[in-house]
Amino acid sequence: MRPTRAVADVRALPRTVFGNRSLMWWGTVGFIMIEGSTLFICVVTYFYLRRNFATWPPEHILRPALLIPTIQAAVMLLSNIPMRGVDRASKRMDLAGVRSAMVICSILIVIMCVLRAFEFSALKVRWDTSAYGSVAWATLVAHGTLLLLETAETLAITVLLFQPNVEDRDLSGVSDNALYWYFLTGVWIPLYVMVFLTPYFM
Amino acid sequence: MSVPAYREPQTPAPYEDEERTRRELEVTWAQPPGLWNWIRSVDHKSVAKRYIVTAFVFFVLAGLQAAMMRAQLSRPENHILGPDAYNQFFTVHGVTMMFLFAVPIMEAMGLYLVPLMIGARNVAFPRLNAYGYWVYLAGGLFLYIAFFLNTGPDVGWFGYVPLSGPEFSPGKRADVYAQSITFTEIAALAGAVEIIVTAFKNRAPGMTLNRMPLLVWAMLVQAFMILFAMPWVATATQFLAMDRLVATHFFNYAEGGDALLWQHLFWFFGHPEVYIIFIPALGFVSSIVATFTRRPVFGYPVMVLSMVATGFLGFGLWVHHMFATGIPLLGESFFTGASMMIAIPSGIQIFCWIATIWSGRPRFTVPFLFVLGFIVIFIIGGFTGVMLASVPFDQQVHDSYFVVAHFHYVLIGGAVFPLFGAFYYWFPKMTGRMLSERLGRWNFGLFFIGMNLTFFPMHQLGLEGMPRRVYTYLPETGWGHLNLLASIGAAVIALSMLIFVINVAVSLRNGVLAGDNPWGGETLEWATSSPPRPYNFAQIPVVSGRAPLWEEPDEMPVVTGLRTDVRDVLVTTMLDAEPDSKHRHPIPSSWPLITAIATTILFVTLIFTPWGAVIGTPLFLLALLGWGWPRGRDKREQQLVESEG
Repeated sequence: MRPTRAVADVRALPRTVFGNRSLMWWGTVGFIMIEGSTLFICVVTYFYLRRNFATWPPEHILRPALLIPTIQAAVMLLSNIPMRGVDRASKRMDLAGVRSAMVICSILIVIMCVLRAFEFSALKVRWDTSAYGSVAWATLVAHGTLLLLETAETLAITVLLFQPNVEDRDLSGVSDNALYWYFLTGVWIPLYVMVFLTPYFM
Repeated sequence: MSVPAYREPQTPAPYEDEERTRRELEVTWAQPPGLWNWIRSVDHKSVAKRYIVTAFVFFVLAGLQAAMMRAQLSRPENHILGPDAYNQFFTVHGVTMMFLFAVPIMEAMGLYLVPLMIGARNVAFPRLNAYGYWVYLAGGLFLYIAFFLNTGPDVGWFGYVPLSGPEFSPGKRADVYAQSITFTEIAALAGAVEIIVTAFKNRAPGMTLNRMPLLVWAMLVQAFMILFAMPWVATATQFLAMDRLVATHFFNYAEGGDALLWQHLFWFFGHPEVYIIFIPALGFVSSIVATFTRRPVFGYPVMVLSMVATGFLGFGLWVHHMFATGIPLLGESFFTGASMMIAIPSGIQIFCWIATIWSGRPRFTVPFLFVLGFIVIFIIGGFTGVMLASVPFDQQVHDSYFVVAHFHYVLIGGAVFPLFGAFYYWFPKMTGRMLSERLGRWNFGLFFIGMNLTFFPMHQLGLEGMPRRVYTYLPETGWGHLNLLASIGAAVIALSMLIFVINVAVSLRNGVLAGDNPWGGETLEWATSSPPRPYNFAQIPVVSGRAPLWEEPDEMPVVTGLRTDVRDVLVTTMLDAEPDSKHRHPIPSSWPLITAIATTILFVTLIFTPWGAVIGTPLFLLALLGWGWPRGRDKREQQLVESEG
C-alpha cells in the first residue's frame, strides 16, 4: 500500500442532489433508454407488418374506437402538469407541496390503468385474429406493463411521503420518478397515434 | 479536448489518521462469513467473482457439448449422438456460449474492474448488481435443467421461425430457448446500467473522461451497445413466446405475420452482440499491452474513437447475416460496404498496439502471449470476415463450415484469448496469488495449437461444401480426414483447459504471493491491496494523468472527508470528474435474491400459462416494494448522514 497525501476534503459536499447530479437520475435515464428501445421495436414491428396487408386495418376488421383512447391520451398529457408540480416542489424541499401533488398524480395514474383496460376493447380486434391485432395488443401490453410498474412505484412513494421522518433522499427520488413519468406519458402520444389513428389514414 | 487539471482547495484538510480510518472502514464495509451473508453480499467484487466462476462453469459445459459434437463428427456415419440430441447439443452450446458465457463474463470482468480502475468503492447500484447475478443464474439453471430433462432447445441459438414457431416445434423446447434468453438479457441490461452510471459518476477526482483507462472506455461502449441491442432480442423472443402461448401471429405468414421480421429483430441484436463480446476484449488487450511494454498505449484518442466507431458501426451490419434471404440489391451493397468498413477501426487498433509493442520493451509473460495469440487469430478471422461481407462469396459458403470457422476465429481469437490473458493478468489482484507461468505457457501453447487445428480445417470443409448443423456425413464425401483433424484439435483445446483449471486450483493454494502491483501496472486497481478490501480504497485517490501509478510512483494523492461509519462514496461530475456530492451506499440485503426468485416464478410459469403473469407480477411488485421500502439499519444510517449538515 503506497503512502497517501491528502489534497482535498469533501466533507462539505451535499448529500441530496437533483437531476443529472444524482445517481438515481442516471439509473432512471438508463431504464428509459431500455424501455424506449422496447417501445420503438413495437413501432418498427407495426410498420413492418403493415406491408403484408392491402388495407389497414386488414379486411373484415373494424377500425378502433377513439373515445376512450383519446381521453387516455389527454389524461396522460395533462398529468404532466401536477407531476411538474411534484418535481418543482421536491427541488424546493417543500414536503407539503410534494404530498398534495403526488396524491393527485396517484389518482390520475389509477385512472390511466382503468382506461388502459378499456383501451384493449377499444382496439376492436383480438390478438389472435391477425398480425395486425397481435402488434396492436403487444404495443398496449408493453406500455401497459411500464404503466403498471410506474403505478406501483407512484403509489408506494405517495404512501412513503406520508410516513414520519421523510428523508431528503426521498424527495430526490420523487424528482427522479417525475422524470420517468414524463417519459411514460410522453411516449404514449406517438404510440396512441400509431395504434389508434393510423388505421384511419394508412 | 483541453480539460482543466484538478484544482487543489485553498485549505487542504488536515491529514487524517489512516490506520483509524482503515479500522473503521473494515467494520462498516465488513462482509461477515457464512452462507446467508454471502448470499446478501452487494460488494461488486464478490458479485463479479460469482459471475466469473458461474460463467466459466457454463463455458466448460458448453465446451463439453462441443467435444461431444466433435466426437460425433470425427468420422463419417458415427453414432455417438443421434440427430435429435445433436440438434439440442449445438443449440445449447451456442446459447450457452453467447448468453451464459461470453456476454456475462465480459460484463463481470467490467463489474469487477471498472470501480477499481476508476478509484470507486463499489458500483453505482450495488443491489441491482446482485439482482442481475441471481437472475442470470436462474436463467442458466433453467436452461440446463430443461436440457438434462431432454427439453433443451433444438432450434439453433438464432431460433429462426417458422422452425421455432408453434407449428414446427411443438412441446416446450423453443419456449425454454425464448425464456432463458429473457433471463440473461435482464441481467445483461442491469449490468450495463451499472457500468454506465459507475463510469460516468463515480470516477476518482481528476479522472476526466479523456484520462479514463481504455478498458473502462471499452466497458462503457459495450454497456451502451447492450442497452440498445439487447431489447431487440428480448422483445423478439417475447413475440415468439406469445406466438407459441397465446396464438399471436407475429411470425405466422398465413395471418399477415413475417418470418423475416424475426431475422431482422434477431440480427439487429445478433450482430452488435459480436462486438458486445469483442470490445471488452480490446480493453483487456490495451491494459496488458501497456503494462508489458512499459509504455502507455500509442494513440489514446484514436483508440477511444475506434472503439466508439466500432460501437456505432456494429449496428449497421445486421443484414449481412441475411444475404441469402433475397433482400434488395441496394441493401446488399450497403451492408457489404458497412461490413467492410468496420474492419477499419479494428485495423487502426491493431496498428496502435503494434506501434506500442514496437516502441516499448515487451515482456513475454503469459498474459502478453495471449495478446499475441489474439492478434494472429483475430486477424485471420477478420480476413475471412471481409471475404464473407462480399455477397457472391457469402452465397457460396452460406450455412457451410466456412462460416463456422470464421466466427470461431473471431470469437475465440477476438474474445477468449484476451479473456484468458485477462485471467492471468488480474488473477493476482482478485486472489492475491500469481498463476503459474509455466502451466500458463502450456495452457497458451496448447490452446493456440488446438484452436488452429480445430477450426482451420473447417475453412476447407466449408469450401468443399460441408453444411453446418448436420449430425453426420457419408464416407463418400471425403470430409472424414479433415473432420478427424478438427476433432483432435478439440481434444487439444480440452487438454489446455484442463491445465488452466489445474493452474487455478494449485495457485489458489500455493501460488506466489502477488503483492499490490506484481506486474508494475499503471492503473488504479494496482494501487490497492490484492485482493482489495471490501471498500477498495481507504481514501479515494486523486489522479492527474492517464497512468496515475507511473506518474506518481511514490505516494498517492487522496481526498478525505468521507464518513467511515456508513458506506460513503464520492460522486463526481460526468465530464471532468470534479467532486460533486456524497452518497451513502446500501447495506447488504437479501431482497435482490427474493426479487430474482419472484422474477423466475413469473417467467417460468409464463411458459405454461398466460396466468403466469397474474401469479408472478404481484409477487414481483411485492418483492420490489420490500427492496425499496426504507427501514431498519438502512433508514437509521440515512437519517444519521442527513442530520450531519
